[in-house]
Amino acid sequence: MFTDEKWSSSKNWFIAAVFWIIIGMTMGLLTATKQIWPELLNNRWTTYGHVRSAHVMLVIYAWLSMAYVGSMFYMIPKLAKTKVYSEKLGNFALVFYNVVILEGFFALLFGQTEVIEYGEFPLWVDVQLLVAIGLVAYNLFKTVGRRQEKMLYVSLWYFLGSLLWLPLTWIVGNFPAQWIPSGVQQGLMGWFLGHNAIGLWMTTVGVGQIYYLLPKLTGRPLYSHQLSMIGFWAIATFYVWNGPHHLMNGPIPGWISKAGVIPSIVLLIPVWAVLANFWGTMKGSWSQTRTSVPLRFTVAGTIFYLFACLQGPLQALPSVSSVIKFTHWTVGHAHMGPFGAFSFTSFAAIYYILPKIVGREMFSKRAMEAHFWFSTVGFLVFAFSLWIAGVVQGFAWIEGVPFLQTVLMMEPYVQGRAIGGTMMYVAQFFLAWNMYKTIKLAKLEKKQQAQQQAASA
Amino acid sequence: MERKPSAVLIVALILWTFGVAGTVILPLFDQEINSATASGELRNYPEDSAEARGREIYIQNGCQTCHTQFVRALPADTNQNLGPVTKGGDYKYDLPHLLGSNRTGPDLMWVGLKYNEDWQRQHLIDPQSTSPGTIMPSFDYLSNQELDDLVAYLMSLKPTEERLEEYKKEREEAKSMDHN
Repeated sequence: MFTDEKWSSSKNWFIAAVFWIIIGMTMGLLTATKQIWPELLNNRWTTYGHVRSAHVMLVIYAWLSMAYVGSMFYMIPKLAKTKVYSEKLGNFALVFYNVVILEGFFALLFGQTEVIEYGEFPLWVDVQLLVAIGLVAYNLFKTVGRRQEKMLYVSLWYFLGSLLWLPLTWIVGNFPAQWIPSGVQQGLMGWFLGHNAIGLWMTTVGVGQIYYLLPKLTGRPLYSHQLSMIGFWAIATFYVWNGPHHLMNGPIPGWISKAGVIPSIVLLIPVWAVLANFWGTMKGSWSQTRTSVPLRFTVAGTIFYLFACLQGPLQALPSVSSVIKFTHWTVGHAHMGPFGAFSFTSFAAIYYILPKIVGREMFSKRAMEAHFWFSTVGFLVFAFSLWIAGVVQGFAWIEGVPFLQTVLMMEPYVQGRAIGGTMMYVAQFFLAWNMYKTIKLAKLEKKQQAQQQAASA
Repeated sequence: MERKPSAVLIVALILWTFGVAGTVILPLFDQEINSATASGELRNYPEDSAEARGREIYIQNGCQTCHTQFVRALPADTNQNLGPVTKGGDYKYDLPHLLGSNRTGPDLMWVGLKYNEDWQRQHLIDPQSTSPGTIMPSFDYLSNQELDDLVAYLMSLKPTEERLEEYKKEREEAKSMDHN
């Protein structure tokens, strides 16, 4: 039933990922629109709270995570100079994972939630998702175990680390709440997951992708192996401590706050190490971004990564946090990494890998260009609306402007966010259509070739 | 280590464990967050009380995605008149926690102090009628029983009298300081 055709896991995970980015971003656009017209599709199932939760969970665990797994099913065997341990198991895990996501999606629409941000699926879904992730990790660890290449390229370090950290972090964050002291302690555990789903999964796989893609797309070797080691171990050391900064200035003792805030600021070290390495590798190749869309996506991703990582440590300063926390700024920042940085690198990965595994160029270069420009311009409009909104809102609260008045003040910015968001949304249809055409034509061409061979034989 | 995936994994696991120990295990031993304040005791709802059911409805409808229950000792919160600054022990019986991360709507930590039951009910059914211009969706699809329970929960969100007195005194002191 499940094919063991070469590269089929990678291809199928990508196809599922792109299906889910459309669904996930539909939920996102609905969330944004509901802030303009609150009564739009307002009922027991698609009320604002449900749709927002579904949006967050789908873009992270359906779209981005599936795109990551698709990349790893190609990059890991390539770096290990071997085959995927089991394509069959890879395809089985995909079907299982998708069933679990579907369950989680409907659970959220029916109002079942664990409340924990980035871990909102109910416990019965969490357990299944853990099994699905475990199957993927097992398959990829086995692949590394069979490697022919002895040296471990830095992307492999990132992928191995991420595949270990995600399931562990998932367990801590989703630990049955009845078994632990409730209240703030549970909040700390929830934010351990909330932050590390970003830090030890989204960031680390994304950075691993960039380390793979940049040398391949520019044809230049990595700028510094040493620097990549520093970056990796610094992320591994400091990122995991970041959870408490979400409760900063709040009901946690000073020592926990410090234990969370200091590592958040120290994160500037790995960010510097990673980015110096990326841009060092780019030296002399910048002009290639004019012609290569995948390279342009990767480079734009690194620039958004810089933005995200300047914001992060800045926001971890108690004084800055006291202005922008709980405002629209946070929402803008929360999209910087997952969309700006790492969805962009995943788009690049799809455009780089898909032609290699189906044996044909992407169908339309113009659709790729449109995908890039709609995503980038849309995202800039989206993000700047939210950042400005957040700062205006934050200072209005400090001045004591009545709350309802601050909501009314936000109207133009919320509209700006929806317009940018619509562009981001439209962009993804270019990706989906292009992928569909490419895969369909590749199949057709293979069939024709086989017929020709049969005819000439 | 460049040749040994198992070594990378082991060190990665150790570093991760340190993070868990520092930010998840150690706080278990901190009394400040693990013993209830008097106001926290008020949130220890008996099973199947209207308040406990109302809290479930609050969660099921995703109220926590727009409303925090988190008052900080900062101008952004004190100038909004949110009520007493919250302490770890205020949340002792919150399961799951509803601290929240975004204020699309105002903070609700002590909302029970601010309005009466009729207002709350009216606000849930037709938010525009009580707060013109609000972007809160209407919860008119809830049954009467559900509305009763949810209102009971919202009305229960208040500090003890003592805590409130303390808070008022602090505010007056702060005001007189401003005038001087």
